This record gives sequence, structure tokens and C-alpha cells, in this order.
Amino acid sequence: MILNLIKRNLKLYFRDKTSVFFSLLGVFIIIGLYVIFLGKMMIGYMDEIIGVNSRFLMTSWIMAGVISVTTITTCNGAFGIMVEDTALKKLRDFKVSPIKRWQLVLSYVISAMIVGTIMSSLTLVLSELYIYIDGGSILSFSALLKVLGLILLSVFSSSALIFLIMSFIQSQNAFGTASSIIGTLIGFLTGIYIPIGNLPSGVQTLIKIFPLSHSGVLLRQVMMNEAMDLQYLPNEFKIFLGIAFEVNGDFLSDIAHIAYLLLSGVVFYLLAIVVVSRKRSK
Amino acid sequence: MEKIIDVVNLHKSYGNIKAVKGIDFYVEKSSLFAFLGPNGAGKTTTINILSTLLTKDDGDVEINGIKLGENEDAIRSSIGIVFQEGVLDPLLSVKENLETRGSFYKLSKAVLEERIQTALEVTGIQNLASRRYGSLSGGQKRRTDIARALLDAPKILFLDEPTTGLDPQTRKSVWNTIMHLQKEENMTVFLTTHYMEEADKADYVVIIDNGEIVAKGTPSFLKDQFSNDVLKIKPINREKLEVYIDKNKLPYEKQIDVYSIKLEHTLESINIINEIKDNIESFQVLNGTLDDAFINITGKEIRE
Repeated sequence: MILNLIKRNLKLYFRDKTSVFFSLLGVFIIIGLYVIFLGKMMIGYMDEIIGVNSRFLMTSWIMAGVISVTTITTCNGAFGIMVEDTALKKLRDFKVSPIKRWQLVLSYVISAMIVGTIMSSLTLVLSELYIYIDGGSILSFSALLKVLGLILLSVFSSSALIFLIMSFIQSQNAFGTASSIIGTLIGFLTGIYIPIGNLPSGVQTLIKIFPLSHSGVLLRQVMMNEAMDLQYLPNEFKIFLGIAFEVNGDFLSDIAHIAYLLLSGVVFYLLAIVVVSRKRSK
Repeated sequence: MEKIIDVVNLHKSYGNIKAVKGIDFYVEKSSLFAFLGPNGAGKTTTINILSTLLTKDDGDVEINGIKLGENEDAIRSSIGIVFQEGVLDPLLSVKENLETRGSFYKLSKAVLEERIQTALEVTGIQNLASRRYGSLSGGQKRRTDIARALLDAPKILFLDEPTTGLDPQTRKSVWNTIMHLQKEENMTVFLTTHYMEEADKADYVVIIDNGEIVAKGTPSFLKDQFSNDVLKIKPINREKLEVYIDKNKLPYEKQIDVYSIKLEHTLESINIINEIKDNIESFQVLNGTLDDAFINITGKEIRE
């Protein structure tokens, strides 16, 4: 039953070409900005400092960010189905059928996670292709596994956040507005449009609180390490580019990042479940 | 006679607004039951309560022998509902839609496949099975909606305004499908409509207004009770006819040169015609319609 609903949700998502496009819009914008001018600027800047491989290094930097953004924008697109079912009153057909509300809600969540994972993996493939064509090399097998694991973790956290936001949304208009706000903000909140080091300290704190930025950090660590051994990258650059977060003078450990992603996911899911179950119709 | 739906003293309010104010009615098994009423009368609220979509405030409802509120899922498995607005997915094919929705009823794969084939057949849309729902015409969509409602082989089929918004020809063919389900498949059909010619074909009609039942009965009973037969006369000499009408104190309406005289019984017309036959250019006698009955009962014309 849930399986059939998931199948339905996935078909609805992937057959709606415009919604697939729009859930990747944030990603296209970032890549566009990077290819057109941000990239040149940043590579030029890094050239002076590191010299070798700076192009590969910075392309990996941006692609790591792109992948972490994809996990949230595509989950957002997938939750559009839940909003549509509510807004277009399709929900009534489910309510008069012998299925439980939690089964329906679970199907939305699982579909969103599957969509997020598929689309982010696809983005990874395209990113690697771009890096390869651009003169870099493809991820090693162990790095690839790590990246895939991070995608899963990131999808878990993002889908929870989006689920929470979407549980408040009742109309397609509101969904459109929320999506464009998320799509725009996300580039800043993950420190991709502008390296975190260029931002005022208040905004930096905000970014560090935002769970998805932690998956950005971990992805950068893995992907950029392919271009150069990050041990030799001065700490100030790690902080500047968001390859590590400094909290109270210490770098956060990998475990801390992972724990934060997991914890935020669990908290958002719990909150969303509270909201959804309070909405039961009378 | 067997009651398949029994409603006693049903109440429902939304905040201060009383949508349904204690209504009683029952539906006989395998009958075609029409729920008639102007907008905002409480039709949809009632149908939503009967189909477990809304919870009632007060009253007793029994559907197919099960008390409402005791085992909703058992009721849900014995009813089918066609909503006024489509609830299927435009991006899925007819078959995919039916497979998804059919999976809610915990049927084996073989049984579900059989049900889908039957539903497609009964509604006459086998050749549309692989077409996307979104690409269908209004009538085809409505047939698919009905096919979806048939998946659990329901005892009772609820239809909320099933023919609204369809062109006359399509309306007729959808209506034939509904009649077929009731006559051949022995299904109990409960529908709301605002087309009088449809209500006229029902076995039993309940008219609801302002959340209260204002009349109920068979269409012929309602027509007898609440509408008049009319004698329409086009006279040769109008003044002469008016003198006659005034003398006999007949209730009438005048439309340019045609006089419509309200009759208690059709037979009265024979007397009148006999007495003034020299002054008649043409005449006709019309039976009262359900439309007239409806207007007389609610004081409103039915209109969406």
C-alpha cells in the first residue's frame, strides 16, 4: 500500500518536467554564477596562494556545495506533491479509503528522500563529469562511497526541514513562494554564493546553525581532498572557504558534523509530526 | 424493503453556522436516491458525513448495517465516492490511477486486476486505459472517476453532482452509466444533482434547504403534491377570456397573448375548454414538473 503510494509520488514528481527543472533551479543558478564570474575570481585568488591544482580545487569546492544544495531543493520539489494533494483536495479520496493518515504521510516522506537521493546522485555524476572535462580527476572509490553516504545523511536532514516547512503550507501559491525563498536563501545559508569568510560574523553564526551547511563542510572535505591534501591547506583558508567550522576556537570534528545533521533531522521530523497530527480534520 | 442507509436526527455545525439541523431519512437497498437542494443547503455536508469524510456532531447514521463512528474502515470498504472535482492524478494513466487507488483496499493482485478490468468495462473506458488522466475530456474523466469509485466493489455509490459541467450529450452517457450500475449491478446509488430531469428518474427524492428536509417522496408524489398542471390558452378575443377568468376566479398568468391557468386537476381543463371553445385559437395542457415543485417548496430556483 505504502509502496504503491511511493510509486505514485515518484511518477508524479519525475513526470512533471517543470517541477523537476525548478527543483534544480537553485543548482543551475549557482553553476551559472560560478562558470560566468565567481569561478574566475576565486580561482585567480587561490592561484596566488596555492598555485598548483587551484582550478580543480575550487571546482570541487563549488560542486560540493552544489550537491548539498541539491539535497534540499529536490526534496522541496518532491514535497510539492503533498501540498498539491492538500490544495487540490485530492486528500479527500485518501480520507474515504481504508488507509491510515500516517501511511500517506510516510509515503510523502520516503518519496522525498528517494527523489533527493536520486537527484543529488545525478548531480554528483554531472559534477564529476564537469570536473573531469575541466581537467580534474574523478573521485576515488573510497571518496565516492563517502560522498554517497553524505548525500544520504544530508537528504535525511533536508527532508526533515522541508517536511516541517511544508506541513504549514496549504496552497500552491504558498508553496511556490516558499520554494523560491528556499531556492534563493539556500545558496547563502550554505556559504556557496559567497565564501563564509567574507560574511559578517552574525551571518556566519547563522550559517553554522543551519544544518545543511554541515553537509557542505563534509562534502568539501572529501571532494577537495582529491585535488590536494587538505592537511597542507592553511587553517585560515579552511575557515574562509567553509571547509571546517570553528566553534569556540576549535574545529568541529567529523563526528560532530554528522551528529548535528542526524540530530537536526530527528528534531525536525518530530516537530513536523506534531504539526501534521494536530491538523487532523474534524 | 431493506434500508441500506439510515439517518436519524443528523446534526452538523461549523462554528456558529448550523449546516445540517437534525435530518432523518433512509435509503432503500438497490435504489436510486437523489438529494436535491439549492447551494449551501447542506447536501455536500451530508454526503461528506455519510462517506466518513466529516464527523457528525449528533445523530445516528447506519451504513450497510454498520454504525458510523464504530468501524470507519469497514464502511470505507463498502462505499464508492465520486467527488465533484476530480481527485485522480493528471500525470498518471487511467490504469495507473486505478492501480494506485485500488491498492488501498488490501486486495490480492489478481483480484485487483479483475476489479480494474470490470470497472473499465462497466464505465466503457477500456480503450482509454493507457491514456493520461489529464489528457481526457470532461466526460472521459468523469467515467474514470466512477471507475475509481467501483474498485472496492461498493454496495453504495455516492456521487456529488456527477453530471455538472458536462455537455448535454456527455451528461446523458454518464447518466446512462449510473443507471446501468443501479439497474444491472444492483448498486445503491446516492447522488446530489441540480438537474431536474435527473432527479425525475430517481426512485426517491429528498429536498433539503437550509439544513432541513423540506420534502421527500417519489418524483411523482412530489409533483402531485407540490406542483400544478397548467392550461395554456391563446384566445381569439382577449377581453372576452379575461372576463371569463375573472368571473370564475381562476388563478392565471399572462404572457403577451397566452394565458396560463393553474389547475388543481388535469380534468378541470375539459370543463374550461368546453365553456370557451369558441374563443380559443390554440391551447395546451401541461403536467406539473419537478422544477415547479422545487420552486414551490423552497421558494428558490435551483441554480449552481
